[in-house]
This record gives sequence, C-alpha cells and structure tokens, in this order.
Amino acid sequence: MTTWIAALRSERIKLGRSQVLLLAVFAPLLSVLIGLLSNMNNLGTGAEAWEGLLLVMAMFHAMFFLPMMTGIFSAFVCRYEHAGGGWKQILSLPVSRTALYMAKLLTVAGALALAQILFSIGLLVVGMVKGMDIGSVPWGVLGTRLLSGFIACLPLAALQLFVSTMWSSFAAPLVLNMIFTVPNILIANSATVGPYYPWVQPMLAMIPNSGGYDFGAFSLPLENLMVTVVGSFVLFLAAGLIYFVRKPV
Amino acid sequence: MTELMIETRNLTKKYKGARAVDALNLAIPQGEIYGFLGPNGAGKTTTIRMLLGLIRPSSGVVQIFGQDLKRDRIKILRRVGSLVEYPSYYGHLNAVENLETIRRVLDVPKARIDEVLHTVGLTKDAKRHVKGYSLGMKQRLGIAAALLGSPELLILDEPTNGLDPSGILEIRELIKKMPKEQGITVLVSSHLLSEVEQMASSVGIVNQGKMIFQDTISNLQRKAGSEIHIALSDAEAAMIIVREQGCFARLEEGKLIFKGIDNGQIARLVAALVDARHSIYRVEERRKSLEDLFLNMTASASGASMGGISQITGGHSGAPRGAGLPKEVAQ
Repeated sequence: MTTWIAALRSERIKLGRSQVLLLAVFAPLLSVLIGLLSNMNNLGTGAEAWEGLLLVMAMFHAMFFLPMMTGIFSAFVCRYEHAGGGWKQILSLPVSRTALYMAKLLTVAGALALAQILFSIGLLVVGMVKGMDIGSVPWGVLGTRLLSGFIACLPLAALQLFVSTMWSSFAAPLVLNMIFTVPNILIANSATVGPYYPWVQPMLAMIPNSGGYDFGAFSLPLENLMVTVVGSFVLFLAAGLIYFVRKPV
Repeated sequence: MTELMIETRNLTKKYKGARAVDALNLAIPQGEIYGFLGPNGAGKTTTIRMLLGLIRPSSGVVQIFGQDLKRDRIKILRRVGSLVEYPSYYGHLNAVENLETIRRVLDVPKARIDEVLHTVGLTKDAKRHVKGYSLGMKQRLGIAAALLGSPELLILDEPTNGLDPSGILEIRELIKKMPKEQGITVLVSSHLLSEVEQMASSVGIVNQGKMIFQDTISNLQRKAGSEIHIALSDAEAAMIIVREQGCFARLEEGKLIFKGIDNGQIARLVAALVDARHSIYRVEERRKSLEDLFLNMTASASGASMGGISQITGGHSGAPRGAGLPKEVAQ
C-alpha cells in the first residue's frame, strides 16, 4: 500500500508541472458559459429550475468534455513513459507494476474528479447568478447525478489507460477516443447499446431523466446503468492490468 | 571466491524461435566493474532487461544478491540502480523534479538528490528544464537517477553511447570511482573493447547471444595479445639481426612484426638494430580489434583450451560468421 501512495505522489509531480490540468478548469468554465447564456426564465426558481440548469450545462459537459478529458488524461499519464524509454526506468524501480498502473488510473480519476467538482461549483454559481433559490436546490438529485457522472467516467478511464499503455503513440488513443465520442448523441438514443457504450455512460449518468429526457437509453433507471458501469470498469481494469503486468518493456 | 552479485544460469530469451540470448551464464563478483562486451545485437540489452525483470526469460535463472529475481524482484530492485539504453527524463521538469519523481518511489531522504547531483556534476544546472540539456548532461542525470537509492549494484547499458569524447571521459571517470568510493558493483555494457578496457576489472564477451569469454581484464589482454610493429629503413636485412637476438619476426610491408615479446627483448633488439646502423622510424604496439578477438575466440574455442581460467560455453563454432541476429524487439 505504501508503494501505491509513493507511486501516486510520483505521478502527481509529472502531472502537476504540466499544463494538462488546465483542461479540468477550462471544460467546466465552458459549461458555465453555456449555463449563463441559456434561457431559464420559464422554469421558475425552485428545484425544477436547478434540474433544468443541470440538464443544460451537463449536456455538453457529459457528452463531450468528460469523455474527451478522460481520454486525454489517460494518454497523458503514459506520455512521458512512452517518450525516451521511460517505462524501462520506472519499471526498474522497486515498485510493482500493479501499483504503478493503479497510481496512473487514480491520477486520471483525480483529474476527472477535479473537473467534476469545478463543474458542480459552476452549476451553483450559475444558478445563483440566474436568481434561483439556493434554499430549494435539490441536493439529492444533483449530488447523485454529479457523482454518478464521475463514476461513469471510470470504465472509460480504465479502457483508455489500457489502450494508452499498449500504444506507444500519444495521439493514437486520442484519435480512437474522439472517433468513439462523436457518435454519443446517436448512441444515447439506443436503449440496447447505450448503457454498454463507455463513451456515452457519463452522459446517461448525468442527465436527469425528468424533464423530457426519458427516451432511448435515458429511460434506463440510474441503478441499472451503474451496475453496467461498475461491471465494465472491473472488466477493463482487469484486462488492462493483465496486459500491463505481462508487457515486455 | 567472493560473493556473486549477479549470477545467471542458462539464461535464454527466444524471439520467434531465434535465440537473442542463448544459455548465458553470467558471474559477477562483488566490487568489480564488469564490462559486458559484444557487438550490437549480441544480446547485451536483452540480457540487461532480463536482469531488471523488464522482460521474462524464456528459460534459465537470474540470481541477484543470491536471491531469485522472479520471486524477490521488488526487494532486489531496491538495491539496484540502472540506466538502460537512453536516459529517460521528463523534459518539462528540471533535474531536481525529475529525481524527485524517482525519490518518492524509492523513499530515500531528500538530501540524496543534492548528493547525486553533486556526484555527477549537475548541481549548477539542477534548476534548468531537462529539455535543454545536452546528451551528456542527460546521461549524467540518468546516472544520478540510478545512484539515487544508494544501490549496491549499478547496471548501466551503453552509458557512453552517443557522447562526445569529453562526455565519454566524464562518464568513465564517474564509473571508475564507484567501487572505490562507494563499494558499488558495476555492470557496464559496451560494444567498444577500448572503452571496457579503460574501466572494467573483469569482462564478459557475448556474441550472438552466447558468452564466449568471461574473465578478468588482464587475462583478456593477455589473450588478445598485442603485436609490436617496428618500422625501419631496411627490414629484410634487419631480419638477420632479429634472428641473432633470438627473436622471431614476421615481415610485412617493410615492417617487422613481433608477437609475445617483452620489454627487455624489445630494448635489446632496438639497441642491436641501432648499432647495425638501421634507421628506426617507429616502434608501436598494435592491439587486436574486438572483431579480430572474436574471430580468434570462436576459432580457438572448439580446439585449444583457454588456459583453464576462462569459461567458454561451447557449441558455437558452427555459427556462420556475420550472420547477425535478428534485431532485438525494440523497446
């Protein structure tokens, strides 16, 4: 366990001194902008308005920003190791491959958590700017959706990290991620494929299925979706770990 | 017999049927600088990667500090510092931050960073981004990283590759200090005999994945044998004097070539030649190149004994010369 923490702290320096974490700030800022520009006047100032605002702001955030960031962070934590024989150096250190892999995954998760927290703050700020009643914030619904959105990113993170450790190119996993993110808007409409599609899972988890969003995969109860999310996370993590532990360096 | 720091038994790595490393038996005693010598593609890097657990051997055993690498990898690696091929670094970080990423994993005191930077002479540039470093500086940073955990064993793969002469000299001096000042055993690979000769105390030569020679450097030098070339005005006439002195020479392009001749004999010979009014232009010692040595060794391995000291793995006399191994699967 101590080596896990050590490996994690080592990852933090590499990430901390790079500019990539700015993404986790910019993406929520864009969502804030979208929220500010939206027209919320007909929803009043109560709980319904807050849910409406979540819908408006989370649409782009969960459909594009979250999956894209997941892909970028996953590729980024492998980037320096791919460049110039870094895997050899880091794997010659007294740290188990499992610990190193988990440290990288946790780093990705940490960056995504930061983005999600900033998004949540942004949501509250926009609501207040719009004159919504802070006393009537539906904490239960918002909290569940925001947390679920984060958790729904984790299977994708595990999958993208798997691909990123496998391909020594920084761009290739990103291209793959982009190709599979773009059809999100279509796949969300499919109740059969949608829940199993890792790129759309954050969106399905974050969009409240009230207020008209009860078609296609959105109609699925959140509990069912989260079972799929956890299942696919375990699957992708296991596959990635098995590959990485055996990978010749 | 001193304690062996590294011992491999029948270490073998196959890539698609071809043996990149073939039944290699390494034996590296404590406190040595062991030169791991061989042409490119001989299996040096593949062997080193197996020693560090970066790739799995197809068969055979690796023991480091007397412990089995497969079982105690993490425990062993804590006591080993390594630099494999190119130094790796995080260009967007400075030297201190680069070492800090490793220090956190090794869990050694922060002061070690300043110490190793001082050892490799990078204290002045410690706060610069590593992106802007010269290759020599990056290489020294790589060695600093290898030293960070105060290792007992240092494994350096081609540490002078691609460096300019002054860079080579710096690295060489650095390596030579290790056993003396810190009691570190060093395994250093190279494809240059001259390079290894200048720093190693013992040497292992691999060719086509097989160990063809493993002994002290002085025994290698004896085996390699050197020739004394004497260039003079009238070589043919001089042959008579040479014979009178009880020496045997070969005549080649107006030069006399002597083999296995000691300092006293050379001195007497030169004096005799000068007395006989020969003009001596130059007396020089010519070493055999690594290539000649390989040829020599593979040729003699099947028949002659190697003085009983050298360990030679047999069965490689049939390999075609210069066939070359398929390139190692690249990093």
